[in-house]
Amino acid sequence: MRITRSLKAAALIAAAVVLGLFTVQGTFALWNASAVAAPGTVSAASFDVALTAVNSGATTNMTLANEAAANLALSPAGTLGPGSPVSGGVVVTNNTNAGGQFNTATTVGQPTVANTGGGTLASYIIVSAKTAVSSTECSSSTGYAQIGASGLASPTVGKGGSTIFCFQVSLAPGAPSTVKGQAVTISLPLTARQLCGVPSGC
Amino acid sequence: MKNSTLVKGTAAIAVGAALLLGGGGTLANWNAEATAAPGTIVSGDLNVVKAVNGVWKDRTGTVIPDISAYKVVPGDKLTFTQDLTVTLVGNKMAANVTTTGISATNGFTPANVSVSAPALTVGSTAVANPLVPTGSDQTVTATITFEFLSTTTGRADTTKSYNFNNVAFQLTQVTQPGLS
Repeated sequence: MRITRSLKAAALIAAAVVLGLFTVQGTFALWNASAVAAPGTVSAASFDVALTAVNSGATTNMTLANEAAANLALSPAGTLGPGSPVSGGVVVTNNTNAGGQFNTATTVGQPTVANTGGGTLASYIIVSAKTAVSSTECSSSTGYAQIGASGLASPTVGKGGSTIFCFQVSLAPGAPSTVKGQAVTISLPLTARQLCGVPSGC
Repeated sequence: MKNSTLVKGTAAIAVGAALLLGGGGTLANWNAEATAAPGTIVSGDLNVVKAVNGVWKDRTGTVIPDISAYKVVPGDKLTFTQDLTVTLVGNKMAANVTTTGISATNGFTPANVSVSAPALTVGSTAVANPLVPTGSDQTVTATITFEFLSTTTGRADTTKSYNFNNVAFQLTQVTQPGLS
């Protein structure tokens, strides 16, 4: 009776060992080898666009550190009067650190003109714009045109390159003398966007 | 008295002869021998090594010398290729080559990047496991692609990083008929 019990116990242990080999270990040891590759780290580029006022030389990044849009005063040269427009401009520079091609285009949207301290001057303001290759072109009256509904787009600007927007503000012919001494604030939204420079990449 | 001495002497001689017969054991018999030469048993080999560092290329096939200095932008698609030298020697040798895949540290928004699992090829065709000896080392190429999707909007994921960490490859012998 005792021998039978011992045999049963031994059989159970043997079965457990075999089962353990098959289920836990699973693989009878054979040769194996391994190699490791370290592809490294892929980093995204910055999307930095610098703005520099033509007249004052003031500069800022288009997007601030807190991701808010920057405001840059263009400080037009001269005093606006009938037949005497004023002009200003902004240099837009593509300052990305992209490893590959990174072309951008910047678009100026419709201007918003608001009276400062009351008055009606805003109703008689005409804002024109043009793109230029040199900031000296901003003081020239030729080439200006009112900004259309789709805005004014710059040429393609590659890494480290820049483009210039010139703006001219003039007084409408029918402006009454009551607007004399009044002031307006003109806002011009600038939007920079990445262009797809790689075939089938976008 | 003399007889006794004779008996004793005879007995001593008999004992000596018996000792000679029992202890010597060199009674001549026929014998012959032959020699067999089983030869030398030589083991095979199994190994996988990264013979050279992997190479990154951009979408146009231009090599990127230093990935840590390269900054990706939306629309970029980079490809990493790593050649592995596989050595298989043995009459019954066969082995599977596999990868553990990528366990990356991803700082990007997942929806803005597409990263493929390592694809293993021999030449231009996908690896068909198990590999068997071909008489010389074989080159298995692992390929990984990283795409910064052009659907990314705004300024999303600027200056982020994706660390691939280590990607491991295993070569494991598999049993063949005749092995146990």
